[in-house]
Amino acid sequence: MTTAPAQASPAAYGSSHRRRKRTLMAAAGALVGFAFLAPYLVMVLDSLRTSSDVKSTPPSILPRVWQWDTYAQVLGDERFLNWLKTSLIVASGSTVIVVLVAVPAAFMTARHRFPGRAAFLLLVLVTQMFAPTALVVGLYRQFFELNMVNTYGALIITNAAFNLAFAIWILHGFFASIPLEVEEAAALDGATRLQILRRVMLPLTLPGLVTATIFTFIAAWNEYVVALTLMIDDDRKPLTVGMRAYVTGYEQHWDQLFAASVIAVVPVVILFAIIEKHLVGGLTAGSLK
Amino acid sequence: MRSMKTSAAIAGMALAGLVLAACGGGTGAGNTPDNTVGGGAETKTIKLVAAEYSKDNTKAFWDAFAKTYKEKTGYSLEVQIISWDNLDQQSSTMIQNNQAPDILNLNAYASYAKDGLLYSSDEVLPESVKSDILPTFVKYGTYQGKFYGFPDLSSARAFFYNTDLFTEAGIANPPKTWAELEDAAKKITGLGSGNVGYALPLGPEESQGEFSMWLFNNGGTWKDQGKWTINSPQNVETLTFLKKLADQKLTQNNPARTNRADAFDLFKSGKAGMIIGFSPLAAALDEDGKVKYAVAPFPTNDGSESKTFGVTDYLMAFKKPGNSNQAAVKAFYELYYQKDQINTWIKSEGFLPVTQSGIEEFRSDEKLKVYLDTLPNAQLTPTDDPTWDRVKLAVQQNLGRAMTGDPKAVLDELQQTAESAS
Amino acid sequence: MLRGGRVGSVHPLVALLWLAPALALILGVVLYPAIKLFGASRSEYSITGLRRGDAGWDNYAKVLEHPSLGTVLANTVTWVVAVVAVTILLGLALAQFLVKQFPGRRYVRWAVIVPWAASLIITSQLFVLLYDYNYGIINHLLINVGLIDTPIDFLGDDSWTMFSMVVVGVFVSLPFTIFVFIAGLNAIPDDVLEAATVDGASPWQRYRRITLPLLRPALMIATVLNVIYVFNSFPIVYTLNDRNPGYLHDTTITFMYKLAFKSQEKDVGMSAAAGIFNVLLILAVVLIYLRIINWREETSR
Repeated sequence: MTTAPAQASPAAYGSSHRRRKRTLMAAAGALVGFAFLAPYLVMVLDSLRTSSDVKSTPPSILPRVWQWDTYAQVLGDERFLNWLKTSLIVASGSTVIVVLVAVPAAFMTARHRFPGRAAFLLLVLVTQMFAPTALVVGLYRQFFELNMVNTYGALIITNAAFNLAFAIWILHGFFASIPLEVEEAAALDGATRLQILRRVMLPLTLPGLVTATIFTFIAAWNEYVVALTLMIDDDRKPLTVGMRAYVTGYEQHWDQLFAASVIAVVPVVILFAIIEKHLVGGLTAGSLK
Repeated sequence: MRSMKTSAAIAGMALAGLVLAACGGGTGAGNTPDNTVGGGAETKTIKLVAAEYSKDNTKAFWDAFAKTYKEKTGYSLEVQIISWDNLDQQSSTMIQNNQAPDILNLNAYASYAKDGLLYSSDEVLPESVKSDILPTFVKYGTYQGKFYGFPDLSSARAFFYNTDLFTEAGIANPPKTWAELEDAAKKITGLGSGNVGYALPLGPEESQGEFSMWLFNNGGTWKDQGKWTINSPQNVETLTFLKKLADQKLTQNNPARTNRADAFDLFKSGKAGMIIGFSPLAAALDEDGKVKYAVAPFPTNDGSESKTFGVTDYLMAFKKPGNSNQAAVKAFYELYYQKDQINTWIKSEGFLPVTQSGIEEFRSDEKLKVYLDTLPNAQLTPTDDPTWDRVKLAVQQNLGRAMTGDPKAVLDELQQTAESAS
Repeated sequence: MLRGGRVGSVHPLVALLWLAPALALILGVVLYPAIKLFGASRSEYSITGLRRGDAGWDNYAKVLEHPSLGTVLANTVTWVVAVVAVTILLGLALAQFLVKQFPGRRYVRWAVIVPWAASLIITSQLFVLLYDYNYGIINHLLINVGLIDTPIDFLGDDSWTMFSMVVVGVFVSLPFTIFVFIAGLNAIPDDVLEAATVDGASPWQRYRRITLPLLRPALMIATVLNVIYVFNSFPIVYTLNDRNPGYLHDTTITFMYKLAFKSQEKDVGMSAAAGIFNVLLILAVVLIYLRIINWREETSR
């Protein structure tokens, strides 16, 4: 829910000024939107032309010959559907785990004192700095010893672990900013810690939760290096890794690669569209003030 | 307090359960008990890591092969296909973790032989197969007197030229000497509208390949009788010639930063007059049908007989404790080198055979005549020397510098790298 | 940020229960491989990847003596500073714009999310195509408009490479930065701003005195996160430099990868040592930054 600005009465002075301003802003908005979309529009256009047309000099913005069946080809490709399935499983799984794990941890560190609290927060911060790329060999060895190479679980756990720090950090901030009175009021009513968390605090941290969710989902959806190393069977590869098969040193199908890429972007944008209003909904609505 | 602890405990267990359930969602491709048990227990399943030559054919072949292998020998074959641009990283990771496969398909073998990781032909290759493999490939697959690098397929580079551009530029015949090549390049570049005389890829992907074809055809070598000859006068002359082409703008922009795929793209879009290509390029051109091209022997500096540059990849076998996989591996090679297996696959991928019997079988294809005749005399890069694995990487990263620097200095440096790494 | 304070102290074991899953994941999946990495950095590996024995600190010495180290470090600094600075400034401006009401705002926000939704690999490959000398749309448009005569070699020309990399870096970092700022801006209560307007403060004064200070947490988060992500960003640097030999434009993270798999060294041990350096470097940067922030917070109280 977006905060509504004070509405001027229709007959007020400057309504045409306001209208012009909003039109200008809408135009500026369109420009900004276009700037962000431009490269991907090229990608969409490239998915609708032949592979050799993608690499032709001089380049033409619009396809010389429109080719419409690439999307059908890709969606009908069983390998592609497997990759899509894997990506969905891994990204959803990681996100669920991150939320389930980060919420209790952030709640505890943000609002309670205990020995080791500072150490834990430092640990969280430090692990933020580790990139999976650097650790991939160690990860492979570890999962091999656990007989978990090539499993969805390995990717889910890895993505969850590497995104956990961010989630804890964000949620920590939100939990910490909730006024004391809110919690004390609930405690006075006899609620247990868990109940306080669930009924009172969690709703107030909704934007933080949503942020953590979308960050983790996107990170897991687009993860490449670890998936590349851990997933061996072609039908267990996520989209990022699997799609590379369309363009190799020996044969290139740029049209299919780009069609697949376009399709890969869609779930993320949908997820975002659904939760966007919670993402930016302010804390000002309805809390104890 | 107590109820809270209970709920937390329950939550913790639920989480653990979730994680374990996710783990169960797949079979680990790790330890197969047979593989790692030493002490003489014979392995029934072996693992192959193969390179992906093409999306359509590679997996199809190996899957069918695995089925036949099981039927004929009773052993099982686990197949893992990895694309070329990750194969190095993946295989290195596997070896770091002591998880080398039983058979690895790679473009180098000597360093692995040097590390004592491989079976030699005495141990796993039937004698009939060894005598059928082309002697030049046996030679380059031999390290310290033992044959380790078994070739899976081969390719030979050839000189491709765009017949339409040649006609347009008034060039009647493909060049036979380098002077003629330079001349042809001038004429084609002179046509304008983005046409490039010769597409020269000296980028880090495979500059050693491009340079090999050139230096062989000026009487040069990488190594001669055990000594590195990288900075020989002929090679310096060759590299200087290439620099001359680039300086005169007879090549595409920035050859030092152009990889093979980019050069091929240029040729495929009809903008390059000449290029060094191989059979996958021919296949792509035929499929597109847009560019009219022909293949000719590569021009030599002085017009003498053209030398062919050949390349093979390897299917090498890793020793396991107690030689537990030796029987299964031997059965693998027996089956692989049978005519209907290896040659069928090579044909579908569009490459060249590695056996005498293969050459006979491929003779029926007219288009391959030019390759098949010269294949037995093909020159290869010194893959039988483990140092080459390092030198190759150094060449890839440094050769292009000659385009904007001093060819002799670059080759001197590479010579030094080779000598100090030996 | 209003600190709610802590409701009370808890027994460490209780705290442990709440933290246990997080600890398990972090220790098990992040720290354990890191320890393995350290172990690898003190081992000697052959070119095939086979471990040959202990190497003490040799790998670290080799990394420090590597001729390209200076270039790589300089590149890393330039890369991180340029991308983060531009992203923060541009992101703040765009966020300010996107919290205002105007028709179609929702769709613009959706458009902004796309560079983030698309994987870095895809975006990088896309830009390689866009920047291409022969097939690139960018050169095509610039020539058609008459701004240049011959194409610019965005990736192969050493004077352009870093710029081309930074553009892509900013492009993919903007979306989440903008949303962090939007969330931050939305958290600023309207009544505070209204009160300031009533008091006669100009928009700039309102911005400087109220908005920016209240945005501090968001700014801090955005900066630290961007520094970490950009520093660790592998696909962009690697893909855009795919045709460039040597280490001329590499940052520490691609340097580390190439040492292991692509370079003439092809040395896993050396790469692991570089990886440890990598971590220490970013650790130092972030800790220093936080020190500065905390310090100011203390003195402003």
